[in-house]
Amino acid sequence: MALGLYSRDGSVTRGGRAGVVCFPETTDEVAACVRIAVAHGRAFVPRGAGTGLAGGAVPCDDPVVVATTRMDRIHEVDVERRFAWVGPGVVNLDLTRHLTGTGLHFAPDPSSQQSCTIGGNVANNSGGPHCLQDGVTSAHVLAVEVVLPDGEVVVLGDEEGRAVGYDLRGAFVGGEGTLGIATRICVRLCEDPPEVATLLLGFARVEDAAATVSAVIADGIVPAALEIMDQRVVEAVEPFVHAGYPTDAAAVLIVELDGLPAGVAAEVERITAIGHDHGAGTVRVAADEDERARIWKGRKSAFGAIAVIKPDYYLNDTVIPRTRLAEVLAKVYEVVDERDLIVMNVFHAGDGNLHPLIVYDAREPGVMERVLEAGEEIVRISVEAGGVLSGEHGIGLEKKRFMHLQFTDADLVAQDRLRRAFDLHGLANPAKVLPTGASCGHVTSLGRPPEGMWV
Amino acid sequence: MTSPTTPGPLGLDDHGLAACVQCGLCLPHCPTYRVTGDERRSPRGRIALMRAVEWEGAVPDDEWHEAMDTCVGCLGCETACPSAVPYGRLISGTREAVAAERRPPLHLRVGLRLLSWPGLVRWGSRAIGVVQRLGLLRRTGVLPARIPLRAGRSRTDGKGASRGDGATGEVVLFTGCVMDAWQPEVHTAVVDVLDAAGIGVERSGDRVGCCGALHEHAGLVDDARAHARRVVAAMAGDRPVLVDSAGCGAALKHYGDLLGTDEARAFAARVHDVHEWCAADGRVQGLLAGLAPSSGPDPSTEGGVPVARPTVVVQDPCHLRHAQGCHGSVRTLLAPVADVRELDDEGLCCGAGGAYQLLQPEIAGAARDRKVAAVHRAARGDEVTLASANPGCSTHLAADRSLAEAGVGVRHPMELVADAVRRSGNGTRRA
Ligand SMILES: Cc1cc2nc3c(=O)[nH]c(=O)nc-3n(C[C@H](O)[C@H](O)[C@H](O)COP(=O)(O)OP(=O)(O)OC[C@H]3O[C@@H](n4cnc5c(N)ncnc54)[C@H](O)[C@@H]3O)c2cc1C
Ligand code: SF4
Ligand code: SF4
Repeated sequence: MALGLYSRDGSVTRGGRAGVVCFPETTDEVAACVRIAVAHGRAFVPRGAGTGLAGGAVPCDDPVVVATTRMDRIHEVDVERRFAWVGPGVVNLDLTRHLTGTGLHFAPDPSSQQSCTIGGNVANNSGGPHCLQDGVTSAHVLAVEVVLPDGEVVVLGDEEGRAVGYDLRGAFVGGEGTLGIATRICVRLCEDPPEVATLLLGFARVEDAAATVSAVIADGIVPAALEIMDQRVVEAVEPFVHAGYPTDAAAVLIVELDGLPAGVAAEVERITAIGHDHGAGTVRVAADEDERARIWKGRKSAFGAIAVIKPDYYLNDTVIPRTRLAEVLAKVYEVVDERDLIVMNVFHAGDGNLHPLIVYDAREPGVMERVLEAGEEIVRISVEAGGVLSGEHGIGLEKKRFMHLQFTDADLVAQDRLRRAFDLHGLANPAKVLPTGASCGHVTSLGRPPEGMWV
Repeated sequence: MTSPTTPGPLGLDDHGLAACVQCGLCLPHCPTYRVTGDERRSPRGRIALMRAVEWEGAVPDDEWHEAMDTCVGCLGCETACPSAVPYGRLISGTREAVAAERRPPLHLRVGLRLLSWPGLVRWGSRAIGVVQRLGLLRRTGVLPARIPLRAGRSRTDGKGASRGDGATGEVVLFTGCVMDAWQPEVHTAVVDVLDAAGIGVERSGDRVGCCGALHEHAGLVDDARAHARRVVAAMAGDRPVLVDSAGCGAALKHYGDLLGTDEARAFAARVHDVHEWCAADGRVQGLLAGLAPSSGPDPSTEGGVPVARPTVVVQDPCHLRHAQGCHGSVRTLLAPVADVRELDDEGLCCGAGGAYQLLQPEIAGAARDRKVAAVHRAARGDEVTLASANPGCSTHLAADRSLAEAGVGVRHPMELVADAVRRSGNGTRRA
């Protein structure tokens, strides 16, 4: 029955069942797992912490699940040259904690950073609130040691971040486990900023918060982070973190600024003014590190906190042009209202990366159909507004049915060719990402797995 | 499919079980997941397994039982969960249902039975203490390295109201069972500090006995209830009940839920962790302020020789941090008397967990290794004392060789406070 625990990740998708779960501790052991699986014609699925939100680590057809959680050693930190070699199972936040005192940190900070692995970040090319300024994971991976789908071990890229020949490192990052398994990763480390200021602005209308975001960027400021949470999200997280979020505001905008003290002070003033111009009812600057930490904890708990409202969630991850935020958001609320559902919006506003979180109780008959319909409609609206299907969570199983909304057949064939170049037999995390091949997995409630799931 | 209204075989609260959204944010806060990397040893996995039985009619197999048995019950996951999943209630409900079908191991049941007789615990412990001194017992994490031969003075037969024995104290100190036998010096430290602040203390003594926490943890909920009823009945009145063992404190505060009676709820409301109570009491605050180096004659001298403020690394017992949420008070009390250093592991459980270290030595040992590594990081090679407010944690940690080799002693925070009070000459005042 316990194999059932490996039939899911953080998303609502459940697939088939894991055939075997392996916990390798070294690159050689990973290579052995892969070789044995492939020799028996079995697929293999890499898995980190299983916090993925698109079903990427969900197994299809009894594959060998290769869990990297025990490959959690930080092998080397070079403070001078600002890089670190880490195992794929190292938890994102553990690396930054390990660097305390060196004046360096690992920049990609997905909201799940306390749990997710760096291997998973690489595979999904994950982003995070602070990636607005620093760039997503691919900008922070210098080299990767990979066990290819035939068991061969290669190193892509190097410590200087120079690609020799084709930049296969670049191709591998974001491969969602379909191009091989990362077994050691050389990440770039960033310098801690000398000064940080975090502002919390409350708005009576979500559109005003969105308009403020555009105005800030138009003003030439690139904050370290620009995040919006709507009232429902704020109401769900405030009791957990006690950050003092204004629960009466329709939307809250978090702005983080960093750099030299004088510059930060000037930007705080400027943003306060822009906020007021756009109808901000409240503007607060976090007084100390504790208050800052609470504000971020609230933001990063958002997906987890929804059970306070409903026990299940379905999440989209589309990216739209920042200038159309207000208009697209209004449509999202409309689509969801029409279907008598509840949506909570919490997103990386600076990147235009929306995360409409449809919350529901799967035990309600017929609700799933309405949820999926609304989900599809949101993707359609986003793509029509000139956006893309996924900002950072990946395609996995859950979003591949939308690939045709964004890509032409020719695009998809080209992507399939790249995949085949790495994985001739189609055994590396099959049925994921590309809408070709057999499908598996059902988007279903976690609370109501299909009959027989557990036996 | 299940309807939320039909109770499943485990009888768990359906709403609580449904609250988990499987986000995985609790994973790094779970000691057993941290050391195994395995979903079967994670809160998310355990909840999914409970659901399988409760909602899908799966029949628990060995693997299922092992998943539940390996949970320390530290509640690190409950603190970390943004969806307010009541994990503590889910696992104790599960344990109760399981224990009804599948009794805990005999040695555990016998051991727990013994706790009902504090006199016996003291007597037996003294015997073990003798054996230890004769070098006949190997060191483990379960027993303290050296059990005192003179046990606590908690018997209420202490005639003549000497300190801590008065039946008229303003507060009652809950003395428990094992703690009284193994770490009587902690009770004495509490009495000394309160006494110096002019607060009279009565020790609860043998008629009150064991709190029943370990019984509940093992799923022997009826036994736990029997202990709870005895404690509540023996400590009638309205005086505050202070507890210096984090594990017992958490149990006593939880009596309202356990017994479900108004009397038990009223009792639970009188229970305070000793640090929590002291940190909020003006007299203790005043006493400690008087000790702080800035005020009055330099207190950190002993016979004219300066005594350095100790450097203390604080370990938060889960029963203080996750169950009672009053670990901040320990810092409030220590700050005037010591240089406090924090661990960088966000209160990850050390693996002691009452009888857990005995039942799951492998995971408990690995969890301790992680904790010890964090202590060494915080110590940075300096001379430090490790402060722990729970007897289970402190014995578990003190059994670690590398801490002993580095000269890191493990003491209760109240002992460190009492040291400072005694050094200042305040501790000798008699009631
Ligand atoms: C509360 C919450 C908040 C989140 N916030 C964000 C956010 O802000 N930004 C964001 O981008 N994502 C976010 N996510 C999604 C998720 O956490 C990230 O995608 C994360 O990078 C996944 O890491 P993981 O270790 O859990 O990987 P898993 O879920 O285990 O796997 C993800 C994918 O990576 C593959 N994989 C894992 N390890 C390897 C490896 N070593 N080699 C090759 N392939 C591998 C798997 O096959 C799978 O396809 C959030 C998730 C949750 C639950
Ligand atoms: S217990 Fe809470 S934190 Fe853990 S997976 Fe469930 S909802 Fe998330
Ligand atoms: S109580 Fe502790 S050991 Fe048990 S699941 Fe929660 S965090 Fe893990």
